[in-house]
Amino acid sequence: MFFLPASRLTGQKMSLPLLDRARERDTHFTMTPRSGAAHRHASRCGTSLSVSVPPMPSRDLLPGEQYRFHFDMTRCIGCKCCVVACNEQNGNPAAINWRRVGEIEGGWYPNTQRFHLSMACNHCLEPTCLKGCPVDAYSKDPLTGVVLHSAESCIGCQYCTWNCSYGVPQYNPERGVVGKCDLCHHRLSDGREPACVSACPETAIQIEIVNLAEWRREYASSANAPGLPSADDSISSTRITLPENLPPDTRKADFFRVKPEHPHWPLVIMTVLTQLSVGAFATLWLLQLLGKTARLSIAALVSFLVAGLALNASTLHLGRPIHAYRALKMWKRSWLSREVLLFCCFSGVASLYAALLWFRLPGSVTLGALTSLFGAAGVTASACIYVVPARPAWNSKHTLAEFFLTGMVLGPLLAASAGVGEHRLLVTVAATAAGSQLLNQAVKFFWLTASEAFELQASARLLATQLARPFLGGSALLVLAAMILPFLSSAWYATWALLAVALAAEILGRYVFFVSVVPKNMAASYVAAGEAAT
Amino acid sequence: MNLKRQLGLDILREEYAYSVDPVVGYTSSQKIPDRWVSTTCGYCSVGCGLFIGVKDQRAVSVRGNPSHPVNAGKLCPKGLSEHYTLQASNRARFPLLRKGRKLVRVDWSEALSTMVERFHAVQRRYGSDALGVISTGQLVTEEFYTLGKLVQLGLATKNYDGNTTLCMASAVSGYKRSFGSDGPPGAYEDLAKADVIFLLGANIADNHPILCQWLDANPARTLIVADPRVTKTAMMADLFLSLKPRSDIALLNAIIEVLIQRDLVDRAYIDAHTTGFAQLAESVHKYSPEFASGITGLSVSQIYRAALAYGHAQAPLIAWTMGINHSTKGAETVNAINNLALITGKVGKPGASPFSITGQCNAMGTREAGFTSSLPGYRKFESAADREELASLWGIKPQRIPESRGLAYPDIVEACIAKKIRALWVIATNPVVSFPNFAVLQQSLEGLDFFVVQDGFHPTPTSELADLVLPAAIWGEKEGTYTNSERRVSKVNAAIPPPGEARPDFDIFLELAKKLGCYGELFPGWTQPQDAFEEWKRVSAGRLCDYSGLDYQLLECHGGIQWPFPKDAFEVKTTRLYSDGKFQTDDGKGRLLPVEWEPFPEQPNTDFPFVLNTGRTVEHWHTRTKTEKVPILEHLSPNAWLEMNPRDALALKLKAHDRVDIISSRGRVSSVELRVTEIVAPGQVFIPFHYAEANANRVTQSAFDPISREPNYKQCAVRVEKSQPAPQFFGVRGSPKTFRRLSVNCKAKVHQENK
Repeated sequence: MFFLPASRLTGQKMSLPLLDRARERDTHFTMTPRSGAAHRHASRCGTSLSVSVPPMPSRDLLPGEQYRFHFDMTRCIGCKCCVVACNEQNGNPAAINWRRVGEIEGGWYPNTQRFHLSMACNHCLEPTCLKGCPVDAYSKDPLTGVVLHSAESCIGCQYCTWNCSYGVPQYNPERGVVGKCDLCHHRLSDGREPACVSACPETAIQIEIVNLAEWRREYASSANAPGLPSADDSISSTRITLPENLPPDTRKADFFRVKPEHPHWPLVIMTVLTQLSVGAFATLWLLQLLGKTARLSIAALVSFLVAGLALNASTLHLGRPIHAYRALKMWKRSWLSREVLLFCCFSGVASLYAALLWFRLPGSVTLGALTSLFGAAGVTASACIYVVPARPAWNSKHTLAEFFLTGMVLGPLLAASAGVGEHRLLVTVAATAAGSQLLNQAVKFFWLTASEAFELQASARLLATQLARPFLGGSALLVLAAMILPFLSSAWYATWALLAVALAAEILGRYVFFVSVVPKNMAASYVAAGEAAT
Repeated sequence: MNLKRQLGLDILREEYAYSVDPVVGYTSSQKIPDRWVSTTCGYCSVGCGLFIGVKDQRAVSVRGNPSHPVNAGKLCPKGLSEHYTLQASNRARFPLLRKGRKLVRVDWSEALSTMVERFHAVQRRYGSDALGVISTGQLVTEEFYTLGKLVQLGLATKNYDGNTTLCMASAVSGYKRSFGSDGPPGAYEDLAKADVIFLLGANIADNHPILCQWLDANPARTLIVADPRVTKTAMMADLFLSLKPRSDIALLNAIIEVLIQRDLVDRAYIDAHTTGFAQLAESVHKYSPEFASGITGLSVSQIYRAALAYGHAQAPLIAWTMGINHSTKGAETVNAINNLALITGKVGKPGASPFSITGQCNAMGTREAGFTSSLPGYRKFESAADREELASLWGIKPQRIPESRGLAYPDIVEACIAKKIRALWVIATNPVVSFPNFAVLQQSLEGLDFFVVQDGFHPTPTSELADLVLPAAIWGEKEGTYTNSERRVSKVNAAIPPPGEARPDFDIFLELAKKLGCYGELFPGWTQPQDAFEEWKRVSAGRLCDYSGLDYQLLECHGGIQWPFPKDAFEVKTTRLYSDGKFQTDDGKGRLLPVEWEPFPEQPNTDFPFVLNTGRTVEHWHTRTKTEKVPILEHLSPNAWLEMNPRDALALKLKAHDRVDIISSRGRVSSVELRVTEIVAPGQVFIPFHYAEANANRVTQSAFDPISREPNYKQCAVRVEKSQPAPQFFGVRGSPKTFRRLSVNCKAKVHQENK
């Protein structure tokens, strides 16, 4: 295991309460200002920098308890010492900040209110990062409650970065794995403060003990803050002390700064092509049921190759492609594992189905049914990966509809292009699906526009401004595919052109799907963090 | 990209490993040093104690010194990442001499010989005062002391000034006028002991964050903050006075008037320890709270609340920074502050003082030991006795010491344009970004016969224009002492050797003295900073800034000691000045000086309707030569922004994050990100001045305090326009950095061709 074995945590070092252990070390320094009048003399010169709020708990954990951060917004001055200290502690490059400081602002001059949020991992009671992880890289430490991530197990699929409402896990492209705050639990078990706690000149960050059952009842009133996503998604354990009388218009300073997300090209290709392949196999099977047999084997072979291409493309998305096989591990819990498993089954059965068709062996109808079934299940699993609360624009039925419609547009067109006959029927099905896809996107856009959630509105804003060209371009191609091309000609080249246009429309549409989502996240600074200096 | 990495093998496992450091505990293995070197932070004047972690002759980490009396182990984000400044890619490594259009690497001997030759040529032809020298607040006191002697006696020019004039000169002049000498009377401990703390034009949360923990250690304090902008510090206040720009004098006079009317002044103290009360009382009479309300924009009740809080306080502290100093009325505003402290008898008392929070790490050192606006040891140029005393200490003829100070920084710049100064030596400062009204500075630098820049960094916007670049060691690479805002002298130590051929400024000065032939006379036998320190102790003995009881070992052991620390000092303790009511004036009394409010020089008008305020952010230091290459700081604050009230933005049809240009009658700052925010009042805008690529000083004005010569950085009239889209190079938008490089290259060419 990557993290400390429980035996070490419960060993001798844990026998003393944390603060006592902290005091045992002469090198260790704790300071908490704004105490009562009793000043502890801190140095020879009679200086009176003194301590009252203990930055660390003074006793051990009891069963049913865990450690957590307390952030006191009334004390924070936004100096970002915690951010720098965290990066130094963990040797992270400047662009990766496991602790971040955001700004919130409200009120009117001169009664303006501006505050800062300093947040690291919230060591949630129901960590969404953990639930989604396909390789079991996450664990919630049974003793301390710390949500731990193992860089050894991680394959860099970044699914946790989509699942966390706070944007806590961050992908490190240099190393190919995700990383996150571990509450400096090695330091904690040594009786030392986490780096951020120790660096804060204002004692705005402290470590506390929380009773889990109580917190489940009370978190709603103490884990939420303006500029922070709802704690409901994962029951954040961080307690936040808010200033009194925050103006009602208080919002994050970066409210108007919305930028497109990463396009994840390997995933654009992978999702569109798997859906194409599934759609094509389903079409072939249905044609087989209708008694058509012409050129089915060629079409099946092409569809199978497309599926293979798609699955291989998906590994390019991983930070550690060589360990891709590990993604099968958590099929009981993670939709990503299920997707991988189902598509593996799909491609296995599909290869058999294609082989039976090729060699004209019996049993192909049954295998065709199985292929379609696994394919449909795989597409459903694909969609479920994206239907997560932390990415509100994906978190709807539109995602499932979009994925299936992609298969229904492209599958029949591939079959038609392979020359399986029933041209008119296939093109009509595809055109209808393309029309439905257009409708799906239009309805989604209006849903985004009408929504009151910041992230959904921001997605609509992106589609209407920065992403207007690809969004409208994709829609125009769909119109072309649904309403114009099918009526032009039924020649083989027209069918190929139709497939090409539809494929382009779907790829563009999927690109827009990936880049237009505005994830939930904590407030940031007004000015966007930059690339690190060289 | 590496194939192993492409496949997904963990090739960086070692780099991201953790180990246990015996002192720090469990931490990133890369950050664990072989040894820790104790020193003092080289950024601001708070003067935090810290350790540099050194591994294989590289500085790999920094940690606060838990037993240091100033910071008790804490550091600001700049301090926490200070070791990166030592590894920065923009460090100056080799002496460079301009040959033709290019700066060419030369050896030290050629560099210094050329410098002496060219300086002498200029001085022979145009007189010895045709050489100007501009230094900094960044050197160690030993270097300032050495440099002062070298310039004034060795190079024999009195046209020597420092960046201090752009920063603290108003506080210096104000203290001299009120108390007869420079020297802040208070101590940081006062922040913890005061019952009322009045911060004027001081945004300590951004600029001196470590002082905030002193405020926090004070549970009973009432904090009053006066600032036109809702700063992070304003958010800490119990009473926030959102006064109009530069209306401080009206506020202070009104407070004095209320205190006199309510008899909340200390009559006994006034009689015994001050002169000029009658004139002061008469001059403030018209500043009723009602009258001041009209000027400051504050309500009458706000003014009363502030006045009564101060008047009833047992231990009120007034502290200020650049909001007061950066003004054509800077020195007089400091006098108004001192007036308030004097009439209530609150000078040098525990918790109570008029306390100037300084800027750079050793601005205080240059004020004490430098030879710019005063003689070393706060001696006066005008005093024959002071000159004679110094001359006898140095064993030279008194006639060699000038009878008046030379030109101040802005006057040196102007003299360059007037061709009265033909050669300039700039040390560890970056006027291209820090000096107001860039157009004037540019003209001044272009006309020089010979321009030397001595700096730890190259290229900087200033060093790129130089004829000779001397690479210097910086903080962490040299030894000496810094004095912080509360007169605490702390030891600075070398952790690693300087890069390339860079040398400590001290060595450069001594080497120059040898070339000039004055080494034996001025610096006999000196080889290390301690030699300068020993002489400085003798020179400061008996003065207000008495160092004579200090030595390096004592400083190391106590992590900093406040002066005065005379030879017979038997205890290291908090010291304050003027606690006995005896001042450094001839009659020993504090001066109460009537001060009149005046509107700031450039009022907004129809063409330029906004008042532009300039300032800082916590992540960056000055002109960013030090912090630009610190990856984490640059990441956290990568570009400049302009704050504008939403009402104004609406009127101008500007949106959040738009790129805007800021235009004054002098110039234009292009493509700055707009921040639409209620932090600033309607009619006012704010820009941080750190960023060379959005140089705020292209629009600021050449208006200087007639007393202190400090520039009026904080108010000038501008208009704001939406930027035109940036030109595209082959479809690629040029980055601000490309533009800077291009524009600087062009400037360098112009500079060359003008010769």
